[in-house]
Amino acid sequence: MTDILFSSWGGVVVDNRGKESENYEKIEKVSLPEQFAQDENINALIGWYGFLLRVQDVNIVDMCRAYLTAIQNESCGKCFTCRIGTKVLADTLTRICRGKGQDEDLEVLSRLAEVIREGSKCNIGQSGPISLLDALKYFAKDFEKAIQDKNPIPEGNYTYKLTAPCMDACPIHLDIPGYVECIKEGKFQESLSVITNKLPLPGTLGRVCVRPCEEHCRRTILDEPISIKHLKRFVADNNLEKNKGMSFKPTPSEKTGKVAIIGAGPGGLTCAYHLALMGHEVTVYERHGEPGGMAAMGIPDYRLPRDILGFEADQVQKMGVTIRYNATVGKDVKLSDIDKESDAVFIAIGAQTNTEMGLKGEDKGYKGFIPGVQYLQEVNMGTDPYPEGKKVLVVGGGNVAIDCVRCSFRIGKDDVNLVYRRTKNEMPADHVEIRDAEEEGVKFHYLTNPTRILTKKGKVIGVECIRMELGEPDESGRRRPVPVEGSEFVIECDILVPAIGQAIDLKLLEGEEKVETTRRNTLAVNEFTMQTNNPKIFSAGDCVTGPSTLIRACAGGRKAAINIDRLINGKELKATYEDCFDKLFEKVKVFDSRENIGFLGGRKRLHLEMLPPDERKQTFDEVEKGYSQLEAMSEADRCLRCYRVGMIAV
Amino acid sequence: MVNLTIDGKEVAVKEGTTILKAARFAGIEIPTLCYHERLNPIGSCRMCVVEIEGLSHPMTACNTPVTEGIIVTTDSPRLQKMRMETLKLLLVKHPLDCPVCDKGGECTLQNLVHEFEIEGTVYLAEREDRESLYPTPLIHYWPDRCIMCLRCATACREIKGLGAIDIDGSGFNTSITAVNRDKCESCGECIQVCPTGALTENLGEYKGRPWMVNRVMTTCTYCGCGCQLEINVFNNRIVGVTTKDGIGVNKGSLCVKGRFGYEFIESEERLSKPLIKKDGKFHEASWDEALSLVAEKFKGIKASHGADAIAGIASARCTNEENYLMQKFMRAVIGTNNIDHCARL
Ligand SMILES: Cc1cc2nc3c(=O)[nH]c(=O)nc-3n(C[C@H](O)[C@H](O)[C@H](O)COP(=O)(O)OP(=O)(O)OC[C@H]3O[C@@H](n4cnc5c(N)ncnc54)[C@H](O)[C@@H]3O)c2cc1C
Ligand code: SF4
Ligand code: SF4
Repeated sequence: MTDILFSSWGGVVVDNRGKESENYEKIEKVSLPEQFAQDENINALIGWYGFLLRVQDVNIVDMCRAYLTAIQNESCGKCFTCRIGTKVLADTLTRICRGKGQDEDLEVLSRLAEVIREGSKCNIGQSGPISLLDALKYFAKDFEKAIQDKNPIPEGNYTYKLTAPCMDACPIHLDIPGYVECIKEGKFQESLSVITNKLPLPGTLGRVCVRPCEEHCRRTILDEPISIKHLKRFVADNNLEKNKGMSFKPTPSEKTGKVAIIGAGPGGLTCAYHLALMGHEVTVYERHGEPGGMAAMGIPDYRLPRDILGFEADQVQKMGVTIRYNATVGKDVKLSDIDKESDAVFIAIGAQTNTEMGLKGEDKGYKGFIPGVQYLQEVNMGTDPYPEGKKVLVVGGGNVAIDCVRCSFRIGKDDVNLVYRRTKNEMPADHVEIRDAEEEGVKFHYLTNPTRILTKKGKVIGVECIRMELGEPDESGRRRPVPVEGSEFVIECDILVPAIGQAIDLKLLEGEEKVETTRRNTLAVNEFTMQTNNPKIFSAGDCVTGPSTLIRACAGGRKAAINIDRLINGKELKATYEDCFDKLFEKVKVFDSRENIGFLGGRKRLHLEMLPPDERKQTFDEVEKGYSQLEAMSEADRCLRCYRVGMIAV
Repeated sequence: MVNLTIDGKEVAVKEGTTILKAARFAGIEIPTLCYHERLNPIGSCRMCVVEIEGLSHPMTACNTPVTEGIIVTTDSPRLQKMRMETLKLLLVKHPLDCPVCDKGGECTLQNLVHEFEIEGTVYLAEREDRESLYPTPLIHYWPDRCIMCLRCATACREIKGLGAIDIDGSGFNTSITAVNRDKCESCGECIQVCPTGALTENLGEYKGRPWMVNRVMTTCTYCGCGCQLEINVFNNRIVGVTTKDGIGVNKGSLCVKGRFGYEFIESEERLSKPLIKKDGKFHEASWDEALSLVAEKFKGIKASHGADAIAGIASARCTNEENYLMQKFMRAVIGTNNIDHCARL
């Protein structure tokens, strides 16, 4: 059952006008939620693939006027057809809505709309007229009536947001088309400012982001996604090379206060950055002696050199943020004491402990048994976690497991193995990373699961494993591995590294006033405001989402900062219109991989030069070299600038 | 090499070549307005749209690299209509003030409007007049005439590496503004690439129409770079300096002196005859008189104090050849190595 009266979304027209509601034809292309915000119903949607009407009383002519006016507002002016054409469309529609339309207007509208759609440079101009063309075709009578009646049409209530497929997929909604376009035009400094508008760690994310944006890059439909991540690294490196600090434009809030942040990981640093920009006094408490959290202590240097992260964390400190190192909250300082001294507290402690494999003896402290995160931390500190051991076996299929195996070569282990219970296809690790590890000589044992730790005199000597096969899909959609009975075998090793997941260490909450947690042992927060049940305490990052990614932690940190600022300024904490649009766009997908773009493809991305496998596996030097200026500009030139406007009638 | 077909002609070009270049290589003209040889493709004008067999969307030839086997059509009723409508849109804002425009007669827009037989302003839009500030008083910016092709801003950034001007605002109300006023060197690169009369030079009142002036190719005398420029002569007076794209070491670029520093030529204060000082006052003399006097004095100094008592400083305004002769003169005729050049000081 649908309650949609008309839809032209994605070029598929469903017209339920004049039908009994039980006979309404279903809309396959898109689902439109009922509500935008609390107490705000969505009456219609108009956007890049067409429009949907839910109720009769939305005036289609007026909605087209509002939409084309928005398109003209968002037009960058860099191509003739969109800059002037959408202005003529918007003005003509406005005139019609004021009751001053003329008969020839309709012809002008459709002629120009077609030319703008086909002739514009980017998706603003290309997608802007689509709905108008549909409306002129299927609601011709409404337009004719508006012209003939000569009565002004009352203006409806609309709200819109600019988005793009990549931008929408990015958790912090970086203005990707914006910064890529700056690179294309050779404006590298401006490009960096577009990024640092939201993110203080461009060089870091430019190296290790898991890049959900690239999966939703519209260019993929033609050939390959834009190298969004590498382009980000390019502008950060370019800035660093010129030895420039980053330039920030603080805009102090009316009221400023004191905020304490626990954890100097990506989440904590991003929150501190935004709070500092808003003029608040920020103190960060960090357990370790350096900033960066898992990006510093987990991610190895060959993927993310520490000086990059260090430089970026320095910039945040230069803005006036104080970081107190070697201060563990819950041990050296009490949460309640911090709470007393501050107007708000932000907890971003990440997921620091290892998930257990459920094998006997895991907690016995056998020599050679080293949990993944701990293993990487020691390597990152410059020590070999167990010099005696030579043959390494890592258990797990995620990025942490891959980091463990690749690191092992680099500290001189020569026999490195990875066991994973499913196949390569199901591995959650980044496929580029898996390829790199293969090239470096890691032995992968797929469809294998450890069942017993074998030890001798308190030292690991091997692992008994069992063969697995793939059965029915589980709730994650991946096929569930099931053991093959009687297929046990032994892999010898003297270092066993379980890297199957991390958990959150919530000791700092012990003995404190209650901060609610979830069943998964994460902190419970409001999804829009990041506020916990304690109004003064906010949280985000891995300790809220469970082990996740840098960019999600940064996005959470930014959101928390915005809401902490609101709290300090006595404003109401609730979902913003942007949050509501994010929710809406989750349903009304911004990226459609089946879209027929109709452009010429065949222009592959520029790949980065890499150190050869034999050379790179000996050192912690960065494996990937960055783009040169010309390479970056040429890669950026592939971008289709898929900005688009989604508008709803409420 | 990549093989493709353009308007029925088979063409083979190097990988990475754009469709526009491939077409020009094959002798096929595609109309353009924002495209400029010396700049990366801008893609603002949408005049160079072409159709590619099998694709629903037209592509712009200027910034689309060729791919193997594509079949390109550069002219069709659909493309013609798109180009025509785009030009009509430009006339929403661009005034038809060609009779009083400095560029009239060599304006790409004027030529295209004429070629497409567009008779006047067809579409209307409400306008909001804004003051737009150009970074240099040597150049006049006419916001209404500006079609926002962005050649000027691109040239400022790509050729000069300055980025003094850029697009500002959004939609119909965008204009070119000084985004980095202090970076402007008043070099006039922007005027040089402007296809319309939106940027004109601010020196002098009466300029003469482009087809009335005589353009004399010469070498700039300001420094040793040897930039090629054209002195625009009207009624035997210099009314401006232009350049030809791609010509000379400067390929069409100049600095502020070369482009705007031409008024000295007709300055009343300029010396045109040698002067000899007698009794504390200068008197006009002939070249023979003047040169004999100099030769006599040199000889005298050389005889009484030796050749090293004389030194020569050559001028950066002279050509290499003249400078070469100067040092030869100092060494071979005067007999000293005391020779230097003002550009080194
Ligand atoms: C090996 C490894 C590789 C990874 N690779 C990638 C990758 O390539 N790309 C990607 O996007 N993500 C990757 N991740 C995930 C990513 O690192 C995390 O999602 C991200 O760092 C989470 O940020 P956070 O700020 O929430 O927490 P963290 O980065 O974990 O930071 C938390 C900080 O809080 C501090 N802290 C904890 N408890 C206390 C306390 N009680 N008092 C004071 N300080 C405290 C910690 O020392 C730490 O500095 C990887 C993770 C690991 C472990
Ligand atoms: S927004 Fe896109 S379509 Fe519109 S003027 Fe800019 S480049 Fe052209
Ligand atoms: S082509 Fe550019 S704008 Fe479009 S999705 Fe990819 S990165 Fe984003």
